[in-house]
Amino acid sequence: MKNTKSRSKQMLLASTLAVVSWSSAVQADNTPGMFRSEFLKGNLGWEDVTAKARDEGSVNFYYWGGSDIINLWVDQVATPALAAEGVKLNPVRITATKDTVDVVIAELAAGRGEEQGSVDLVWVNGENFYSLKQQNALWGAFANRLPNSVNFEWDESDPRSLLNLRDFGVETGFQEMPWSGEQYVCSVNRAHVSAENTPATFAQLKTYLEANPGKFTYVKPPHYLGNTFVQSVLYAHNPDGTGAAPYQQSFEELGGEELARLMEPGIEYLKSIEPLLLGGASGKPRYAENSGELDNLFLNSEVHFNCKFGVFGNHNGLITGAYPEQAEEMIFPAGNMIKNKNYLALPLNSPHPAAALVAINYFSSAEAQASKLKTAGMPVGLDLWRLSEEETAEVAASAPPHYGVTQQQLDDNIAPDTNASLVDVIEATWLAVIERKEDKPLADIVAQVSGELNN
Amino acid sequence: MMISSPRDIKSINPWQRLLVLAMATFTIAPFAPLIIQSLAFRWAWPNILPTVWWHEQRERSPFPLAWDYVFSPSSRVAEATINTLGIGIAVTLLCLLICLPAARVLAQRNFRGKNQLEFLIALPLLIPEAAIGIALLMIFIALGFAGTYAGVIVVHLIPTIPYMVRMLTAVYQGHGTEAEDHARVLGANRRQIFFRVTLPMILPGVIAGCLFTFLVSTNLFLLTFFIGQGQIITLPTLLFAKISGGALDATGAGIALIASVPGIILLMFTDRFIRSYPLAE
Repeated sequence: MKNTKSRSKQMLLASTLAVVSWSSAVQADNTPGMFRSEFLKGNLGWEDVTAKARDEGSVNFYYWGGSDIINLWVDQVATPALAAEGVKLNPVRITATKDTVDVVIAELAAGRGEEQGSVDLVWVNGENFYSLKQQNALWGAFANRLPNSVNFEWDESDPRSLLNLRDFGVETGFQEMPWSGEQYVCSVNRAHVSAENTPATFAQLKTYLEANPGKFTYVKPPHYLGNTFVQSVLYAHNPDGTGAAPYQQSFEELGGEELARLMEPGIEYLKSIEPLLLGGASGKPRYAENSGELDNLFLNSEVHFNCKFGVFGNHNGLITGAYPEQAEEMIFPAGNMIKNKNYLALPLNSPHPAAALVAINYFSSAEAQASKLKTAGMPVGLDLWRLSEEETAEVAASAPPHYGVTQQQLDDNIAPDTNASLVDVIEATWLAVIERKEDKPLADIVAQVSGELNN
Repeated sequence: MMISSPRDIKSINPWQRLLVLAMATFTIAPFAPLIIQSLAFRWAWPNILPTVWWHEQRERSPFPLAWDYVFSPSSRVAEATINTLGIGIAVTLLCLLICLPAARVLAQRNFRGKNQLEFLIALPLLIPEAAIGIALLMIFIALGFAGTYAGVIVVHLIPTIPYMVRMLTAVYQGHGTEAEDHARVLGANRRQIFFRVTLPMILPGVIAGCLFTFLVSTNLFLLTFFIGQGQIITLPTLLFAKISGGALDATGAGIALIASVPGIILLMFTDRFIRSYPLAE
């Protein structure tokens, strides 16, 4: 109670100050939240932001630090580039983004509000963004207000803007900036599988597994990689033949019974391949716990395929030695290779918000994205048709090679992600049907798990 | 306790020899694949050794591989090592300062609720870090300790104090108070008694307690991450970030090996010290 009072007092103070020093709002940067409200109102020019960023001096960038090549890019390219703009990038490498979301939420709960937190910038998507949004822990709608926002499609009438405006079906509300666009791509080990035997559909995969039992598995849901595999199975087995389309609606819009009807054939397929998966012959199919384990199974030839997010995952696997020498990409499942983006977000209590904006603006430049593509093998998050010809050429020249497929083939087989509210239900259904082997009509299971999720 | 005159290995009966061998295998074996992995580029089953070694790929690689990465500034191994050692030493000393008097009281005095207190002291060992991490973080934020070295050091005291107290209590109990009583009767003051009589007597126990405290502190991940807010990196936080994908690659193996170096050096040092200690039985 006392907190709200003091906050409303602060707000009153801030707005009074805003009126007094309307034109020179930057000078009042000692008041926490001043910069934020002025920026979000559109009262600040980019010079004001860069000036304040230089005052703040540094930015704490929290990102998953498990990849050497990404770490090297951050240290060797991004850090010096931002230093030139007067901002010291302080990379904080984390194990799981969820831990950082927990830190932000704990700080806010402990009363560390605007400009009093520790996280300036965090690499997120999906569930973690949804948590931050749910807890009102996001800084605000900044993504369309930076100079490099022009590199992205924000026009809602253009369907291609969807990846910038929806993160797993959740409206981004300009509260996060696209950072990289990934696609669910499978690799095949050519030491074992010839081109003509390479499956392109789930039916062909099953045929392959009947001849070579045990040579496939997928990451276990609720890991997002497992969820994605299940989603692509559901798209491909949609009884209406409308693929991903109905899965774009929220659970409320779609309804449990309709969802169960749509899922039925896909879930039946997943059940039917269980005995053909790794270890399935002995009645205990083994699902990989994460992408690292699946990489290992693939490297060791225990499985012949490896499905994960990564347009350049095959290339990265080859240059790091994580993939077998004869790994190649494959178009699978044709027409249902899920694509999404991951983003950079500012928490509400970012201690250096102006510096964070300057960093995001840098990360969104064609130059930074091209070098990230080249050295870290991370696909660009910006929209190529928004770039100048030179920039497009620069990006094209930076792209790592593909193996066995072309970029055009990958682009031709894109499918959108599933709405975040459905992802939870689908994941819980998988756990009930596949893991716990609950033998009930699918509609009952969907009703039961969705009821549990709502409580 | 220890065998005073070293016996010839042949005089040990074969069963004992087998057990010693098994123990040595269990101790050393995990390091062998770790060392090979740290030198490998591509190491796939069923090959006993890597098909492509790090040094073969080194020239071709567009970025620093394996040990090249571990020793590059980007790996931040140097910073993490300094932090780990510094925090470990500070935690050990503070822990000792708190536990020496506490253990003495627990060992030599009787008071109401002593058993309950001993049980309570052991509680932090039973509760998983994950369960208390967030709650502790909120307290530390309120205290202004989050994200600071002081905060990390204080939070490391929580899981280390139980070990140290238990260890020192046992040591005090083993020695009784006779020697100290003699010294007092002979006119020594409390300072003299502590430094000339008590400490020399319990020193091997103190060293062992310190060793455990240091090892526990240098292996804590979750508490360090939460309270350090990810900004204070130690060898465990670095290693966890590295292996979270589920696979241990060459750099992960390299960092793991480096993370085990302080412990190994310390173990060797304390082992020699305790062996050559004049009061050791």
